[in-house]
Amino acid sequence: MSDAPKLIVSHAPFLHGGGSIVVRNGQVLLALIPAAICGMLRWGVPALAVIALSVSSAMAWELIFNRISRRPVTIGDGNAASLGLVLALVLPATVPWWMVVAGTFLAVVIGKEIYGGIGANPFNPVVVSVAILGISWKGYMDFDAMLLTYDPGFVMMEPLTAAKAFGTEAVARFSAFDLLMGRQAGAIGAPFGFWLIVGGIYLVACGVVRWEIPASFLAAVALVAAAFHLSNPQLYAGPMFHLLTGYTLIGAFFLAPEDSGSPVNFWPMLIYGGAGGLMTVLIRNIGAYPDGVIYAVLVINLINPLVDKIRPKALGRAA
Amino acid sequence: MAPNKQLQLAYGLAIVLFVIAVIGYAGYSAKTPDPPLRMMYPTNAGKVLFDHQTHLGAAGYALACSDCHHHPPGMEENWACGDCHGKPEQHEAIAETCNQCHDPADYDLAEIVKRSDAFHDQCIGCHRQYGAGPQACNACHVL
Repeated sequence: MSDAPKLIVSHAPFLHGGGSIVVRNGQVLLALIPAAICGMLRWGVPALAVIALSVSSAMAWELIFNRISRRPVTIGDGNAASLGLVLALVLPATVPWWMVVAGTFLAVVIGKEIYGGIGANPFNPVVVSVAILGISWKGYMDFDAMLLTYDPGFVMMEPLTAAKAFGTEAVARFSAFDLLMGRQAGAIGAPFGFWLIVGGIYLVACGVVRWEIPASFLAAVALVAAAFHLSNPQLYAGPMFHLLTGYTLIGAFFLAPEDSGSPVNFWPMLIYGGAGGLMTVLIRNIGAYPDGVIYAVLVINLINPLVDKIRPKALGRAA
Repeated sequence: MAPNKQLQLAYGLAIVLFVIAVIGYAGYSAKTPDPPLRMMYPTNAGKVLFDHQTHLGAAGYALACSDCHHHPPGMEENWACGDCHGKPEQHEAIAETCNQCHDPADYDLAEIVKRSDAFHDQCIGCHRQYGAGPQACNACHVL
């Protein structure tokens, strides 16, 4: 046996890295602000109202639940605010106020607090909320129907719906650059791919998001979409289209890597992200829904405890 | 930042954002332009998104209102298509509204086509006539 040291760990006291829940949520909020600003500039005051209501009502629900459950008030940690902002960015700009309030209730109370609060939720709270909203009030989550009053000067048909209903002939109307810069019908912030990538890279650089999950998620979306496209180019859109439309980028950087619903080891993270990308394109291309990110993230949240069992073998021998 | 300060900041932020939201929802809700830009028809055979602006605008087909919309002579009010072209189950009841201005002897109720047939005839007929625009079901209906 080699005498080379395999693992060196110093003993306490340890140097604090400066990280905290407040800092992490602040970084998430900061990463989302460019997309939020773009959304407000594109969709106007209604988008600002949705963002403001979503963030404030998310904080209010957390405060109310803290009081009811007689636990310390936690809205100062910024988690409710970041959940509210992510939720706002995946909603249409003209969504009614009561649906925003219902959405933040579902995210904060049903998605997080009833499990015990931050770090204890098995599913991404925003994904739980959007899934329930989409089933309960389908019409209000239909971007084509909700954006009838806007004329921003580009094709105002939701790209994924167009691709699913009309095939790649309709997809040809969207250029990759336009899609990347958010020139597409969609949610308040989710279409602004460039700024979501910038925000996502910032989170990876800060250590809030591990690169393995978004990288494997996006790689799987690209590979599976390419396979479908090669099998039938008239029916299925190409990988770039799938990467830049719908909730793909906000899902890869802000929904799938949520702390308590995602794995922490290397191979599990790759499997988790890869399964998310695979499910996304399967739902889009052969499922019932135009976008598959929400249900794909729910499914990978579900398999998270299972894949996280794949871990390095512990040193030594079990008794 | 001390936890107390964080909490105060959170309360302040929540209140300010709530006020912005109330003002935004109360005063700046999106209004449907006149004439409308696009129209959504939720049908039993999947929704149809109709681009009204492209048909009307100078940059599009520059159609006149009367090229598609028609009303009985002398009718000034801006009635909706469905007021006369009702759904099958409402057909006779809605068509009765016509009798407010017209003598029932002037027309045969059976000749008033239901709204879906009127739209199909109008859209597909025009697209066929000019050799442009969708004609197949799944070229308009999101199935």
